[in-house]
Amino acid sequence: MTYVEYKMLNPMQKFGYKAKKFLVSVPKAIGRFFKAIGLGIVNFFKAFAKGIKNYGSTFVKGDWATKLSYLIFGIGDLSKGKIYKGILYFLVEVFYIFYMVSFGGQYIAKFGTLGTVETHTEKVGIVSKTVFGDNSMLILLYSVVTIVITVVVFAVYISNIKDAYKHQVMRENGEKPTSFSHDMKEFLDGKYHITLLSFPVLMICVFNILPLIFMILIAFTNYDKAHMPPGTLFTWVGMDNFGSLFNLVEGAKKGKTFIELTEWTILWAILATFSNYILGMIVALMINKKGIKLKALWRTLFVITIAVPQFVSLLLMNQMLQTNGALNVLLSDISKMFGGGPVEIQFLNSTTLMARATVVIVNCWVGIPYTILSMSGILMNIPEDLYESARIDGASPVKTFTAITLPYMIFVTTPQLITQFVGNINNFNVIYLLTGGGPTTQDYYQAGRTDILVTWLFTLSMTSQDYGLAAAIGILVFIVCATISLIVYNNSKSMKDEEAFS
Amino acid sequence: MKKILAILLAGMITATALAGCGGGNGGSSSTDSKSDASSGSGSTDASAEKVVDANTVDPELFGDEDNISLKVWAPSQALELVKKQVEDFKAAYPTKTFTNIEVSAMAEAESGTQVLNDASAAADVFGFASDHLNKLVDAKVLSEVAFVNTVSEMNAPETVEAGKIKGTLYAYPETNDNGYYLVYDKTVVSEDKAGKLEDILAACKDAGKKFIFDCGNGYYACTYAFTAGVKIDGLEEDGVTQKFVQYDENEAVKTLQAFSRLMHEYKGTFTSLDVAQIASGFSTGTLGAGVDGSWNTNADQKALGDNFGAAKLPTINVDGTDKQLISLFGYKYIGVNAASKFPASAQILAYYLHGEKCQEQRAEELGWGPSNKNVQGKPVITDNPIQQAIKQQSENACVQVNIAPTFWNPMGNLGNKLIADETDPEDAEYFSKLLKDTVANVRDEG
Repeated sequence: MTYVEYKMLNPMQKFGYKAKKFLVSVPKAIGRFFKAIGLGIVNFFKAFAKGIKNYGSTFVKGDWATKLSYLIFGIGDLSKGKIYKGILYFLVEVFYIFYMVSFGGQYIAKFGTLGTVETHTEKVGIVSKTVFGDNSMLILLYSVVTIVITVVVFAVYISNIKDAYKHQVMRENGEKPTSFSHDMKEFLDGKYHITLLSFPVLMICVFNILPLIFMILIAFTNYDKAHMPPGTLFTWVGMDNFGSLFNLVEGAKKGKTFIELTEWTILWAILATFSNYILGMIVALMINKKGIKLKALWRTLFVITIAVPQFVSLLLMNQMLQTNGALNVLLSDISKMFGGGPVEIQFLNSTTLMARATVVIVNCWVGIPYTILSMSGILMNIPEDLYESARIDGASPVKTFTAITLPYMIFVTTPQLITQFVGNINNFNVIYLLTGGGPTTQDYYQAGRTDILVTWLFTLSMTSQDYGLAAAIGILVFIVCATISLIVYNNSKSMKDEEAFS
Repeated sequence: MKKILAILLAGMITATALAGCGGGNGGSSSTDSKSDASSGSGSTDASAEKVVDANTVDPELFGDEDNISLKVWAPSQALELVKKQVEDFKAAYPTKTFTNIEVSAMAEAESGTQVLNDASAAADVFGFASDHLNKLVDAKVLSEVAFVNTVSEMNAPETVEAGKIKGTLYAYPETNDNGYYLVYDKTVVSEDKAGKLEDILAACKDAGKKFIFDCGNGYYACTYAFTAGVKIDGLEEDGVTQKFVQYDENEAVKTLQAFSRLMHEYKGTFTSLDVAQIASGFSTGTLGAGVDGSWNTNADQKALGDNFGAAKLPTINVDGTDKQLISLFGYKYIGVNAASKFPASAQILAYYLHGEKCQEQRAEELGWGPSNKNVQGKPVITDNPIQQAIKQQSENACVQVNIAPTFWNPMGNLGNKLIADETDPEDAEYFSKLLKDTVANVRDEG
């Protein structure tokens, strides 16, 4: 379709055309995604093969010291006069051997089984004492630590070999190794990024990456209420946890719960995000309209709800919506004025539709102020001359909105929309504090009708102690969020055309 | 200069990150310290429970343990008293040196979880509620009771039975009062009407007041299942699946229908709300009666003053016969940490704290119902109508022990469905399916 043809379409057709374009591009985007993954894997293996080749060829070309560096870290550097680096390499090896012998080795040895010795009790006289056996959780945890340390030491090992060979070549060329002070100065100059980032990166590894690997591995174990360390052992079960989530056989409650909660989670995320977005935008437009008096006052009034912490508002709402809550009392009073009886609507505890609608509406209360805040800022930033020229060209207010305001706002807020959408998929507060997952049902396993995946995950780990299952759900939620964000972001204008409005 | 500033800044950021996370790593200390089984009791004769009286034992039982240092967890409201009792304990064994017995506050609902998290850092002697027992025993962090025969003799048999798993007694009974019962306003519900649920509801309705029963909470809602005959019976062999007694499904469905019919007939009177609303309901005068936990007694009493009435749960009329409501009833226990470095001393301290003297002190000062038979017969208990109501209810109850973690949510759902507006009380088929689904969910089938 040419540009002129497109311009001749009516708004509905334009929308249809754009929607079609978007939907058509989705499979392509998914295709691109998998292609990128495939390419990554291929590149990885290529690099791997290259690494092995270098490993072998360096050994062949190396002199005695370089060859010995394959066994003892730092020999190559030491023999070429690079003393401090050689000692450092050697210390790493000593530390690693000491660590493996004294601590890491015993755990990594049990990594395959996660422990075999059960905890048992011994009786001495009339006093009994528990003799603790293997603790599967500690084995898993320390094994992960050991594996990470091993990977790091392996990297040091490779760099030790490379360094030894480098210095060998330098000696052959008659060059001298650089001095300690020179290398240190380099860290404030050419290698400044390493100085600045090494510590934060280390901390991220310790406090984010390590726990993450640990949690992911939990999803492949049967760590649950029947397998609780230190009393009992747990072990690897492969994909069983994922299997029970996708088990759709009649009567299999976990699978049914997972599928139906996923549907509701996505529906909830869409409803919550767009209700806040659209309603917030409308309010912001009304406030920003020319000729509205006391703009600052209106803006403050709407934003003042932020002053009350979200969880407080939610708990208050929960109380107000109870059968004896403020809302029902108000309705009863109104009904009595017209000669009716008391009203007791079970907002959160009756039908699915009622509870879900209530949740979405209450979410507007806590969410819209934030949208108003950011929208007002964006609206005030749109260059006035755009509107002026539109006015001179005789554009109607609706036309101005659809052609200037809306594209500008969507352009600026797409990343924010994605964040909100993902945030809503994981919107624990609103669901848990408002309904606690209710209305309850006997059709689901440990979940209610308004439970989303994260609140179910919470119940599974806190109430019924299905840690393995909960970890599996966590992984799946992450995959859903990551896929949606990547696809939408990569197809958004903000990504494709960064310069558009600057 | 700029670069140095940048480094300082990065360092500061990471330092704050560290300060925030630092505490987290300390919890997972190694197992090494736990596994040394070197310290044992010097006592050689296994059957000899050299008990002196209801509070103390033969100091010989300490064996070679001396310079004893122990940690005790007690709930905050009992902290002062337990500290005093620990001092008395030290005085009772003058031949032993106690370097340090530390008493710190830990709610009974929390202590079990804390011990499970890290037994080696937890208290040697701690109070906990009976519903944690099977978890603690499964994790093997509880040490068996050393003075089984004496403890069994001294305490009410139901508290001893509930402390046993597969025939072994794992904890010292501490109280006999952890449950819920009927509280009412005497000006609304007269004493002779408090025996029947129908009468109570009618009286409340006539007075324009409400009746509160928390149907959405499995802890209270399991009353419906129990009354219907669907009682719990420990756990299956696997240690996690809930076992139920044989029940007559026809009868059970009829009982559930009777409950549901009452709820719908008295809609507006019979309300499902959190028990926290009961005391406030009494003080605002909107409430006629309710089913409340024994721990709220003081608040309820304060709200109503002389008009406060307490009784066991009422009966419900099912097809012409009055059926007693069966509740869930728990006890509190004193447990000994199996990882304790002074296992014998910890046992002797637990024995002392569970003893007659300490129980009487707790009954007098804290109002805790005792498990000790002698204390149960003393006027501090027998002259107290509330304690009597709680005791009567304890005779019509399932014991809150050996309960699967999957028990609570399905039971809460059962209560919710009974009271839900869209439920038709006459639809027997619906209740039959509801009951089957509830049992299946509790047992985690499918």
